[in-house]
Amino acid sequence: MGEAHGASASTRLDTFQYDDDVVRKFLFATVLWGAVGMLVGVLIAIQMAYPALNFAPYLTFGRLRPLHTNAVIFAFAGNAIFCGIYYSTQRLLKARMFSDGLSKAHFWGWQLIIVAAALTLPLGFTQAKEYAELEWPIDIMIAVVWVIFAINFIGTMVKRRERHIYVAVWFYVASIITVAILHIFNNLSIPAGAFKSYSIYAGVQDAFMQWWYGHNAVAFFLTTPFLGLMYYFMPKAAEGPVFSYKLSILHFWTLVFMYIWAGPHHLHYTSLPEWASTVGMLFSVMLWAPSWGGMINGLLTLRGGWHKVVDDPILKFMVIALTGYGMSTFEGPMLSIKSVNALSHYTDWTIAHAHSGALTWNGFLTFAMIYWLAPRLFQTQLYSKKAAEWHFWIATVGVLLYIVSIYSAGVTQGLMWRAFDETGRLQYPDFVETVARLIPMYWTRVIGGTLYLVGALIFAWNIVMTWRRRPAAYAVHEVQAAPLSPTYVPEPMRPGVDVPATAWGRFVNMTFHRTWERMPILFTVLTTVAVIVASLFEILPTFLIKSNVPTIASVKPYTPLELAGRDLYIREGCFNCHSQMVRPLRFETERYGEYSKPGESVYDHPFLWGSRRIGPDLAREGGLKSNLWHLRHFENPREINARSIMPAYPHLSTNDVDFAGIQRRVDVMVMLGVPYGEGVNNAPEQARAQAQAIGQDLASTGGRTGLESKEVVALIAYLQRLGVDIRAGSAKVASAGGAGGQP
Amino acid sequence: MSERDRLIDHNYDGIQEYDNPLPRWWVILFWATIVFSVLYWFNLGVGIGPGRIAQYEAEVAAARASAPPPDVSSPDELAAMATNTQVLEAGKQVFVTNCASCHKPDGGGLIGPNLTDNAWIHGGTLAEIHKTVTEGVLAKGMPPWGKLLKPDQIDAVTVYVASLKGTNPPGAKAAEGTVVP
Repeated sequence: MGEAHGASASTRLDTFQYDDDVVRKFLFATVLWGAVGMLVGVLIAIQMAYPALNFAPYLTFGRLRPLHTNAVIFAFAGNAIFCGIYYSTQRLLKARMFSDGLSKAHFWGWQLIIVAAALTLPLGFTQAKEYAELEWPIDIMIAVVWVIFAINFIGTMVKRRERHIYVAVWFYVASIITVAILHIFNNLSIPAGAFKSYSIYAGVQDAFMQWWYGHNAVAFFLTTPFLGLMYYFMPKAAEGPVFSYKLSILHFWTLVFMYIWAGPHHLHYTSLPEWASTVGMLFSVMLWAPSWGGMINGLLTLRGGWHKVVDDPILKFMVIALTGYGMSTFEGPMLSIKSVNALSHYTDWTIAHAHSGALTWNGFLTFAMIYWLAPRLFQTQLYSKKAAEWHFWIATVGVLLYIVSIYSAGVTQGLMWRAFDETGRLQYPDFVETVARLIPMYWTRVIGGTLYLVGALIFAWNIVMTWRRRPAAYAVHEVQAAPLSPTYVPEPMRPGVDVPATAWGRFVNMTFHRTWERMPILFTVLTTVAVIVASLFEILPTFLIKSNVPTIASVKPYTPLELAGRDLYIREGCFNCHSQMVRPLRFETERYGEYSKPGESVYDHPFLWGSRRIGPDLAREGGLKSNLWHLRHFENPREINARSIMPAYPHLSTNDVDFAGIQRRVDVMVMLGVPYGEGVNNAPEQARAQAQAIGQDLASTGGRTGLESKEVVALIAYLQRLGVDIRAGSAKVASAGGAGGQP
Repeated sequence: MSERDRLIDHNYDGIQEYDNPLPRWWVILFWATIVFSVLYWFNLGVGIGPGRIAQYEAEVAAARASAPPPDVSSPDELAAMATNTQVLEAGKQVFVTNCASCHKPDGGGLIGPNLTDNAWIHGGTLAEIHKTVTEGVLAKGMPPWGKLLKPDQIDAVTVYVASLKGTNPPGAKAAEGTVVP
């Protein structure tokens, strides 16, 4: 303490205290939401193996899966990030947080957002974009709270007492800036109700923006902040210096600049233009080394300290966290290679990849950090080191069971989808065969996930017991440090180490970077520029080049009833299990029909291409089955197909369609440029007429009467429309039961 | 190496850093991915390579060229199968697995029409049933089974369906279509 870089010896020392109260709050929130998020994860894992556990309408897989992802990412990992950032930033910058009020507002605002998410997602309010499901009022809250965080953080940098900012702080800066940009631009939408909105982008562009966001949510929410935490807590726990400062500089800037480009690898073989797909793949491949830079710097910081790992559960967690990070950042580039992706995409392989990173890198690093923090924050000993050891081993076995079973499931299903028999026909033409084969692996995953949850509960118990041993009143430590002098007194560029004599030598040696480190505002601006420039290289061509999305004359907007049905498809989260994107691969067109064209989704606000096929693709579903088939299938899928794992949706047959409310939705679509023509003012009447026709068809083919006012009719209308327009372009195909009419 | 593990004399909350060089293998890995990416870009990105649609079309053409000629059973062959109990048993299995959800396990009709009466919407000869099963009737919600079932399965289910005529199961749907005596 009390070092005074750049200050003369005569300067007086400031005396101040760090705000550990807010750190303790974030710590408890991390523990609590972690347990909740993982519990929901186990529940949806069971639902996949045992569909009877879906409780419609609120607790079906389609609504709970986003709850799980949002809870573990934004509630568990989010609070962990804030906990670690508030603890380490104050110490690295030798300053209390800029404003206690902003710290409190950040904490309570974030918890409010989490509670709002936990309520609205089961209610079916969703934007249908992965990891950006929350509807517009919550999105605005997120933006406000994030700006509060940013002001608090940047304010702390400004009033710091440490001249140079350490690598952990660089990563925090990059995360805060980039998450703000991603969140705002992906969520731009026009409200069509209190908890309903339509993305301003459509089809190809919406898909591009979503995966620019989605991939970088992984990058700037689950990777860079955790790298920052690693750079603080790893040397602290290992009690040794960081392996290489040069490596820190190089891997920081390459990671920040390159990650942004990689998003399109989530859209290989889709209607996204091929150039974008290729750019996304290549930047993903080039990300391999920058990612491993972080792993090397972490693991090599442990050199000479490996003996400590044997009896320190904290270091054990960190070693597995970094190893898991290394494995998943090797696997990521591999999966981004198009031919590998052709096999892995839409399968559980992606799920295995995500969990191998999340359970180890994010989970284990958080556990390590909190085991290290708890005794310091609660000013006592950890309640049970033995329980922490048990947690480590139980969770490690859990991770292994989880990822091995789900890798097997992914590869098995991927290979079954593409298998042809000797006569040139699909070996497994019935989709459900490829699902039924996975059920034993799904049960194994349930066991692995449960073990991980049990570990997290032991952890929660251990932390609470540690907290109970706290002193009656926390001691508040006085810290002393000299304020920065207003004028910078030059000091050695790399103190203690020779600096090359030539300019080129200093450039290669990255000595110049030291200058940036003492100008945090310039540093923030440079990071922002890197992220924005990299984004614009892909965004501008995607939006401006017309030939990216050739229009198709026969593709028309959805009728008002179909639009209402599409919103039900979104509400029920159907897109979590069904894609609407046939790839130009022979095994795919054999199974589903003509591959999807960019021009087909020009009216899709938002796009619903999906990312996982737990059920079959629906892009060509229109007209394949009768209306009655769909009705009975929604009411009980297993009556139609005994091996189906789809939840039943009986409430669709009893809930009334809000016909009057359709007008507002059509109006918003018109505002977004969807050409509804003269139908624009009588949407409810048009919808009623189409519903009447489908209701009559259902009644006359053996269904019940009185369904024409029910939600199921709108959803059937939507499904019967899918893929119909492009067929109508080449050959006239009559559609069943009055569906597929033109607006 | 003499350069190894020289501490830089700065200190952040007690954390120090070494001035170690970048690991050589790491630098080589990084350059290798960059070189790969540049080469790949010139192959595919700017259009020298074939691109995904051309690849797909080539794949489809190759499969078409190498596919064995379609093996469609003639009406006589189907008629011969109609008396083969093994084929009928196989047809029953296919029917129960794939058709029963719409036509009821006994063929009495549910979502789809009754298959046990002598009225036929799309024709009741073996060849006509075979065609309906293979190509489907999309307008009526009958899927084309030609891609889902193998040729011998379609043959078997065709003769099985024809064999249901006159079984008169309880609760069957009313007759639809043209009566074929």
